[in-house]
Amino acid sequence: GLRFASTTATLKTETEADTSENEVVAPDFTNRNPRNLEQLALARKERGWKTTWPKREFWHRLRLERTQHYVEAFVERCNGDVVVSASTREWAIKRHLYSPKGVTACRNLGRVMAQRCLEAGINFVNFKAVIPWEYRCDSIQEFEKAMQEGGVILREPRRIYQ
Amino acid sequence: MAAPLLSAALCGVRGGRAFGTAAALCRRAAPLGPMPNEDIDVSNLEALEKYRSFTRYFRLAEKESRKPRWWKTYRQHTSPPAEPKTDISLPRDKLLRAKEIKERKKILKENHQNAEMERAARLRTVLIPLDEVRAEWEKTSGPFHKQRVAEHCGIFRDLFKGATFTPWVTLRVEYSQEDEHFVPVYYGNMVAPSEASSPPAVSYEADKGSLWTLLLTNPDGHLRNTDSEYLHWLVTNIPGNDIKLGKEICHYLPPFPAMGTGYHRFIFLLFKQDCPIDFSEDIRPMPCHSLKMRTFSTFDFYRKHEDAMTPAGLAFFQCQWDSSVTWVFHQLLNMREPVFEFVRPPVYHPPQLKFPRHQPLRYLDRYRDTEEPTYGIY
Repeated sequence: GLRFASTTATLKTETEADTSENEVVAPDFTNRNPRNLEQLALARKERGWKTTWPKREFWHRLRLERTQHYVEAFVERCNGDVVVSASTREWAIKRHLYSPKGVTACRNLGRVMAQRCLEAGINFVNFKAVIPWEYRCDSIQEFEKAMQEGGVILREPRRIYQ
Repeated sequence: MAAPLLSAALCGVRGGRAFGTAAALCRRAAPLGPMPNEDIDVSNLEALEKYRSFTRYFRLAEKESRKPRWWKTYRQHTSPPAEPKTDISLPRDKLLRAKEIKERKKILKENHQNAEMERAARLRTVLIPLDEVRAEWEKTSGPFHKQRVAEHCGIFRDLFKGATFTPWVTLRVEYSQEDEHFVPVYYGNMVAPSEASSPPAVSYEADKGSLWTLLLTNPDGHLRNTDSEYLHWLVTNIPGNDIKLGKEICHYLPPFPAMGTGYHRFIFLLFKQDCPIDFSEDIRPMPCHSLKMRTFSTFDFYRKHEDAMTPAGLAFFQCQWDSSVTWVFHQLLNMREPVFEFVRPPVYHPPQLKFPRHQPLRYLDRYRDTEEPTYGIY
């Protein structure tokens, strides 16, 4: 009887002593996460490069490089750092393809790239760095369709100014 | 041409108003390095190789713009110079490359001789099995890609103060929901706090007899001090694969990113232990709901045990406020829920001039302390 009461009493005081200091919270909060502002659409986009092409008004840009021997896709930031990449030079992709260049390679690269982007938490990418007369060709169209079917949206949301 | 302009500028003869041109004031001297396109011989233009296509020129231009230059560039100004980073990953034995390359070449040759694959590629019907590609990627280039993404999310900068590691061990973390489906945690996923309310199923490849430590931290959520993290889960001396057989130093607390603070990173770290380590200094009381006890620094923790432990696996997710966070604050932490609001940094205005040139009347409004607009009041 008595012992039981005392154990419950001490438990309560322990938990109260534990959590009594929780209420003290600093009035300013700084979030160190570098991806926080761009995920909330509050980060700055570099607006100054309007007279050159390609423009740098994005948070993440999708760039497709097609060479005679392979196809590569990069998602990069405006300062040039690559975040996610996929290429037909990687053994994981090369072994399932007949040729590491061409329309089928682009399409499958798009599917793999979409999966990797979603895993990395990149849902919105800018796909404007494509040369206009090359944009209509089959391989780039297939790549874009594969990315959209994979779930990545190829338009970045507008920054929230107000 | 330069000399009379120079004297006019300095004496202010022309129209009474002098103008300053820094270029005129500097003495003309030889450039401090080679000028671009100096090495091209323009005397015989017919013999030069032309680009003939925009793509070739553009690719070369991009490559040239990334080279380091002797003049000051925007790239140098914005990005800080890269420092050499200490590598704290698991030691890796040298792989036998020759045998692997031979096997791969054999497979590629078989692919090329396969008529069905050729037909499927020609008719554009090939669809690669994505799960197999992912499994192979995890073994080959997965760790490097994960390290790169973690670098961009600032994990090494915040947790280890710059020291990096390559996560060689693939850590599979999945939160199981009520309706039998799983919410996986990859490198940078978005997971809701309501989905993460119970401890996840963690699996990784482990040899028999090896000991591991699993740690879940939140470097962004600290309510009092920006530089410290909150410890959500710490299980040590795990034999092999089984998390339940390990000693739970700190029990699982569901994530609680406060409202208005945006996205927080929650990082799972897997350390490989060489021998059983005594964590008696780090033991938290069994139901630990005190934020002071949960304040943690991965850097100090790792420094204390760095002789016996090396980081081997990494998985992290991004988490935003959700209604289940209110329940955690009220019931588990026994405190009022803090709500924050985003405060924009003040707009930048250059230092005020006594006689601004070509500025409208609202120039004065920008520097006045009180709010008295001169524009839009009529």
